Amino acid sequence: MITVDLLLGALIALVCGLDRVAILQFMISRPIVAAPLTGMVLGDPLSGLQIGLLVELLWLARLPVGAAVPPDDTQVAIASSVLVINLGPVLDAGGIELILLSLLITIPLGKVGQFFDHYARQYNVRLSKQVELAFEKGSLAMAEWQHLRGLVSFSFAAVATYAVILVGGLIVVPLIWPLLHQPLSYSSDWLALALPLVGIAVILGTINVSRAITLFCASFGMAFLLMWLV
Amino acid sequence: MRIWFRLLLLQASWNFERLQGIGFFYALLPGLKKLYKKDELLHVSKSYVGYFNTHPYLAPLVAGAVLKLEEERAAKPGDANIAIDEFKEMVAAPYAAIGDALFWGGLRPLVAGVALFFAVKGILWAPLVFLVLFNLTPMWFRISFYLRGYRQGLKSVEFIQRHNLPDWAIHTKEAAVVVLGGLSAFLVFTHLNTHQLPSWLGLLTLLPMILLSLVARKGLSTLLLIILTSICILCVGLFWADMAELLKI
Repeated sequence: MITVDLLLGALIALVCGLDRVAILQFMISRPIVAAPLTGMVLGDPLSGLQIGLLVELLWLARLPVGAAVPPDDTQVAIASSVLVINLGPVLDAGGIELILLSLLITIPLGKVGQFFDHYARQYNVRLSKQVELAFEKGSLAMAEWQHLRGLVSFSFAAVATYAVILVGGLIVVPLIWPLLHQPLSYSSDWLALALPLVGIAVILGTINVSRAITLFCASFGMAFLLMWLV
Repeated sequence: MRIWFRLLLLQASWNFERLQGIGFFYALLPGLKKLYKKDELLHVSKSYVGYFNTHPYLAPLVAGAVLKLEEERAAKPGDANIAIDEFKEMVAAPYAAIGDALFWGGLRPLVAGVALFFAVKGILWAPLVFLVLFNLTPMWFRISFYLRGYRQGLKSVEFIQRHNLPDWAIHTKEAAVVVLGGLSAFLVFTHLNTHQLPSWLGLLTLLPMILLSLVARKGLSTLLLIILTSICILCVGLFWADMAELLKI
């Protein structure tokens, strides 16, 4: 039933992708929500939760300010969840190693999302011209409709990003799994710890708060000592 | 009510030329239709499809105020004191900056940090915790600020100034740093405990994290940092495995 899973993943990619920029902004597009949601729909919410945990903080420091477009962590999280849940039985693999390998392949592919998002926003420039045309014709309904047409380009960007990441993962992960399975088993736990910490370090470096490092060290030290001593 | 719901679709036609311009026209149209008739409606509508960009959670405040001003203009045609375009231009960019700092820069990492505590423990409610905690504030802003904007019109600017939102953004960011510090400590402590390693080693984590944050501040991309860190950990893992095998021999 891989095809059904891929299509369900595409549906989630579409809904979450639209929430990311075009509509609502309820944050169902954040990896901590999108990945467990995918996992739940495909029958393995825990794998989704682990993926969400690892991806959530990575690009959180890249703010969608003005015309800036961050890499598409939403589609990385969804595609990785679909990959892990479907490739696990095929490769007779599972656990954190497969999750990490999938992420190491899909995270760089998240950059593709920037390209498609740029394309969608560029394509939507045509809608401005169409709106002008609608005004010339005196049709407000036509002008309104142009706005909703923008959803088509954002939908395309979301699904195309999902497809590229998924296809890339489906090709590369089975190829390199036999080669990297052993090395990953030695370092998977450390890698799983490192990914969120790298994300936190990047947030710390870019958050624009005076004395951020001092605050962070104090909080880290206090929490660590409490856990250690209590 | 229809305007508020339409504001949820504000960015559907976001583009590099006019950003949210068409979306703002789309959202306001039901209100404009009630105020103006055919030709006048077309003329007023045209003035809304130009460049417009603000934070989506603060757009309802602008929309509410603009609607109020449109009502005043419709009641007193030709009143030069009601300069809606200037008002839009004046507030959009500062509101965008405030919203970006408060919601994207502060609230999002703060709530993500809290939700990830639940995720680390394997609690499947973590996404729901994130959604509820995050959406409480933006929803309050979206609803109450829309009403406030409509009630106060131009004076809504004073309301924003009085509430010192930029200061709140800084406080939220500081809280986020504290929560992320606690989360890091929790992740490291749990990891060391699982591997039965001495706990004091965890304090050493601060060193590479500070180093990484300084490198990130210099502009090195997150992706590059992830790749470099992963390669380092994989190589150390392989080396460690070889050493363990040699020592057994």
